[in-house]
Amino acid sequence: MKRNTWIKWIVVYSVLILFLVIALFPVYWMANTSFKFQKEIYNPAPTFWPHVFTLSGYKEVLFDKGFLNNIKNSLIVSCTVTAISAVVSYLAAYAIVKLDFPGRKFSSKAVLYAYLLPRTVLYIPLYLFVSKLGLSNTLWGLILIYPTFTIPYATWMLIAYLKSIPAGLEESAEIDGCSKLQSMVRIALPLSLPGVMSTVIFMFTMCWSEYLYALVVIQESAKKTITLALSNMMIGDIFAWGPLMAGSIICTLPVLLMYVLSSRYLVTGTTMGAVKG
Amino acid sequence: MRQGDYIRTGSRRANLRRLGIALISPVVIYMLIVMVFPFIWALFVSLTDKKVGSEGAFIGLQNYGEIMKDPLFWRSVLNTVIFTAAAVLLKVVFGVVMALLLNERIVFRNLNRALLILPWTIPTMVSVLIWQWIFSDISGVLNYILLNLHLVEERVGFLASRSLAMGAVVLVNAWRGIPFVGISVLAGLQCIDGTLYEAATIDGANVLQRFRSVTLPMIKNVTILATIVTTVWTLGDFEIVWVLTKGGPSNGTQILSTLSYTYGFMNMDIGKALAVALISFPPLAVLIHFTTKRMLDQS
Repeated sequence: MKRNTWIKWIVVYSVLILFLVIALFPVYWMANTSFKFQKEIYNPAPTFWPHVFTLSGYKEVLFDKGFLNNIKNSLIVSCTVTAISAVVSYLAAYAIVKLDFPGRKFSSKAVLYAYLLPRTVLYIPLYLFVSKLGLSNTLWGLILIYPTFTIPYATWMLIAYLKSIPAGLEESAEIDGCSKLQSMVRIALPLSLPGVMSTVIFMFTMCWSEYLYALVVIQESAKKTITLALSNMMIGDIFAWGPLMAGSIICTLPVLLMYVLSSRYLVTGTTMGAVKG
Repeated sequence: MRQGDYIRTGSRRANLRRLGIALISPVVIYMLIVMVFPFIWALFVSLTDKKVGSEGAFIGLQNYGEIMKDPLFWRSVLNTVIFTAAAVLLKVVFGVVMALLLNERIVFRNLNRALLILPWTIPTMVSVLIWQWIFSDISGVLNYILLNLHLVEERVGFLASRSLAMGAVVLVNAWRGIPFVGISVLAGLQCIDGTLYEAATIDGANVLQRFRSVTLPMIKNVTILATIVTTVWTLGDFEIVWVLTKGGPSNGTQILSTLSYTYGFMNMDIGKALAVALISFPPLAVLIHFTTKRMLDQS
């Protein structure tokens, strides 16, 4: 028995280390490359840490390639889409969970269906739609179509969060004279805030990372989002991996930050203790 | 209860119904205008010979007919199936292993979980670029490692041969997607009642038997669900293949999404591109319908 446990832990930790190496090596390699000069990057024997440390890759990508502008574009689109989607999705999710109306079941099904639908099915229809409206090459075009994936996602997630709120709290508020709308804002919203926050954060990262829709809607370089700008740097035969990896790090940082923030929200359970068992 | 209360409850119910419709209408209107309408419109455009920048004339099912006769289309169908099957298999196997690992009482469990989810959180474009650099046959680190371990004799062009390129895109897709399956299955594992294991141990079950008779049945549903959701998403992948190989070399990694994009935005043939995208919709719709039903049953 004792020997068995030993063997088990050796297996568990070896597999864990293997998984960690596979998951983290590429990320480490991105960071490592981003701090090197081109000469060291193209060394036949790769160096596992920068022998000559430099921020020139970051400088080049941010200031020579106009990355700041791409970051601004991505921020505008992601923030606008996230804010709008959060509001309308919350209202829809609240209606689906807490109110009874004709078409309620169908709505929740349609939302899930839209959530699962891959972008590759919709991208040409949306490209045609945006072009017809004269919104090609504008951030408005992206702001118009990005909710096709954020709204279904957010509504679906918020339905789950709202379902977990005990009905008793709202009922007692309504007996005390709250209207439904008041109880939605004053009772349900604060209680579902951790869920709302993590949904918001994930929506932001979805928009920030989006590529296909931006690829077909935006051609003008001044309007390009960060993912488009990154993929555009891959031209010619020898790629400038230093600036490319520096750009990749910059593209990853906000998402990582959001992710660290959201894991804090995920562990906070506000509902706990609100209704005594 | 006072007399007026009956009437008031009735009108209150009607009010709440109206409120429900009002609250959901922005989403419904948006989805009708920006999803349903463009989709139906695109169905009509797929029956025309529309090119980028010009209006098309009605040509009936000609686009679809041409595609069905095109060996490249059938090649892409086959590639899509191979790509999806291989990537989903890897993701499910390694995802379940990841979940089992994180369910053990390991040190720094939360930190390890966060680190293992990392590939899922970083933007797809970034992961594709990193892997492209790792795969590079000029100073790429993978070649360096393989050469030093004497696993290969000379530098390998991972993206230069058909089968290796397919392996490469599958690997990148799986690397990104394993954590999704892992976390979903982990949630299922954490619902298992510990006393079940104790009971099985008392009955003399060894590790493997306990896994087969307790763990597996308990995580079966959540694993199946994660598998089909992952399958739908993998079928819809574009970015990884497009940025890594553009569907090449010699169409070795051409999948339906990249073929559709090539027709539409490289050859400017929107009608044909739509036909490729829409022809793959019915099987996808069946799969999504099946998934939706399962997800709604479980929640």
